[in-house]
Amino acid sequence: MKGIAGTAGLAGIAESFRQAWRLLLAHKLRSTLTLFGVVWGTASVIFLVGWGEGVSKMLDDGFSRAGKDMAFVFIGRVSEDFTPAVDRRALWYTQDDVEALRRRARLPEYVAGETRRFGSAAFRQRALNVDVRGVEPDGMAIRGAPIAEGRPIRQSDLDQRRRVVVVGHDARRDLLGAEGRVGSWVRIDGTPYQVIGILGRVGTQLSREGAEIDDQLWIPLTTHLVQFPHEWVDEPVIGMIIFKLRDRALIAETKHEVRAILAERLRVSPTDEEAIPIWSPVEMMNRMPANRQRTLMVMVAGATLVVSGIGIMSMMLDSVRQRRPEIGIRLAVGATRGAILTEFFLETFAVVAMGGLVGVAVGSALTLAMASIEAGDLVPVPVYSWDAVAISLTVMTTVGLLAGLIPAWRASRIDPAETLRAD
Amino acid sequence: MTDLGDEASSRLAIELIGLRKHYREGQAEEVQALRGIDLEIERGEMVAVMGPSGSGKSTLMEILGCLSRPTGGEYRLFGQDASTIDADGLARLRGRTVGFIFQSFHLLPRLDIAENVELPLFYQRVPRRERRERALAALARVGLDHRASHIPGEISGGERQRAAIARALVNDPSLVLADEPTGNLDTDRGQEILEILKGVHSDGATVVIVTHDPGIGARAPRKVSIRDGLKVDDERVSA
Repeated sequence: MKGIAGTAGLAGIAESFRQAWRLLLAHKLRSTLTLFGVVWGTASVIFLVGWGEGVSKMLDDGFSRAGKDMAFVFIGRVSEDFTPAVDRRALWYTQDDVEALRRRARLPEYVAGETRRFGSAAFRQRALNVDVRGVEPDGMAIRGAPIAEGRPIRQSDLDQRRRVVVVGHDARRDLLGAEGRVGSWVRIDGTPYQVIGILGRVGTQLSREGAEIDDQLWIPLTTHLVQFPHEWVDEPVIGMIIFKLRDRALIAETKHEVRAILAERLRVSPTDEEAIPIWSPVEMMNRMPANRQRTLMVMVAGATLVVSGIGIMSMMLDSVRQRRPEIGIRLAVGATRGAILTEFFLETFAVVAMGGLVGVAVGSALTLAMASIEAGDLVPVPVYSWDAVAISLTVMTTVGLLAGLIPAWRASRIDPAETLRAD
Repeated sequence: MTDLGDEASSRLAIELIGLRKHYREGQAEEVQALRGIDLEIERGEMVAVMGPSGSGKSTLMEILGCLSRPTGGEYRLFGQDASTIDADGLARLRGRTVGFIFQSFHLLPRLDIAENVELPLFYQRVPRRERRERALAALARVGLDHRASHIPGEISGGERQRAAIARALVNDPSLVLADEPTGNLDTDRGQEILEILKGVHSDGATVVIVTHDPGIGARAPRKVSIRDGLKVDDERVSA
């Protein structure tokens, strides 16, 4: 655009900004309303998108606490038509099945067997009924719970069936109290175990089988199989196989691969979902309204942008319409169309930029303030999103500039005499 | 003074050949404001264009001032066909060569008087300081330098008209066009305005005044009468 800015350079721009500023001050109410529209639009989009992200993240975190991107393979029964479930062939997994998966399955990052049983745990005068898990090192990697003190369970513990225990964050408080520590001995169903590690806090899980990880005791899988033999099967039964996805997006493929390998070993159909039930929070999340909520928020934010955009646009249109005689006068005393457009551009830009920056500040402050509130595990807090900042600023600025420029462009296109007559 | 290349070679400031202007008002039939006007105005002339309201004289002034383009005929300004000049070229002409004095002043209400007068210079990219000096000089010429920092709403109609004249003169235009410059003023104020315009004329500019006031017309060296979009009379008064 060639205007005053074109040749007069910085001095010209400064001059135009001065003029623009004066015009803004001259139309205080209109400027304020326009400004408010931009501020409102920008700030709400940043906050709403942040909130949508926050809800999504809350759910994601809630599901991830059981183990990020993990899946569970439970024990099932062969599905045969017209046969009552109780009469169908019983299936179970063994350590060999776990090893076979570990060897052959390409899509899971980790595979591990896990057994669980509620047992009584006692330390000094205290006794609790707790969820006791038999775990493998890979399983601990899948669960992802941090070790706060001591050490994790290692392969050597499994190899030697050591009677060692890693205590969950809350179980430590409830069972060990103030006196217990790494090195203390606890009894699980009467058998002494030495505490080798304590888990850091995991938090409230949105998916779990049995107790929360924070309330669990972890012992080596091999020890668990001896401590809690199966009621009626005469071999070590792995009650559950867990695995971690390499790629969240490949959940269906990974399930298919795992099921096919196990089905072959268990001699069932590779498509029999009842025989080999696999459940993953990832699928759950995809189905849950979490993502829909995010979409909804983005839509609400989009609508806010549109509404604010319309507000700004009508304000600008009105402003330029009222100033048509002014455009006529300026043209009459020698302004080129370029000069007029430059003036309107800078003036509109001043309002929109100011509103945008204030809006970003307000939206950011609100989002960050709410994000900093110490909330529970399952209370959503907004997540600050640069995308939202960029999108809202871009949309608001574009709308504002177009709304200011288009009518000015039209007004400057007709004969000044006609524009003046509109007075 | 102007960027019209062959200005020096032309004896005429204004040459109109069969000038026409039609308006279409909504869906109604065409309004023929000018129906073929032939007119030559030499450099340095002072001409009063007379005629009743609705005669087309304001439309004529708009075309002379490059604020509007004719629908037919030819307008040569200092020898150059105005229809060959693009919009930006016309804008430059309006800013440098032509000074237009509007009947309703057309001052920008938010700017003070000096800033209003500076406006043509602003669009010529004249530096700030020089702009201010020339604006104050132009205001002094119309006796309004003491009102420089007032806004139009704070001064009288006569003063506003003088401010509008100062704005028209600030670029030392070769052609000054005044559309009913005394129309909104009482007789005394009107005389003042006329004296200023005569001063401009004696400084060498071509001056065209549109008026329906016979008193003003009588004091101009040449009087052109317009009626129903046609020139009906053209008389030179020997001084």
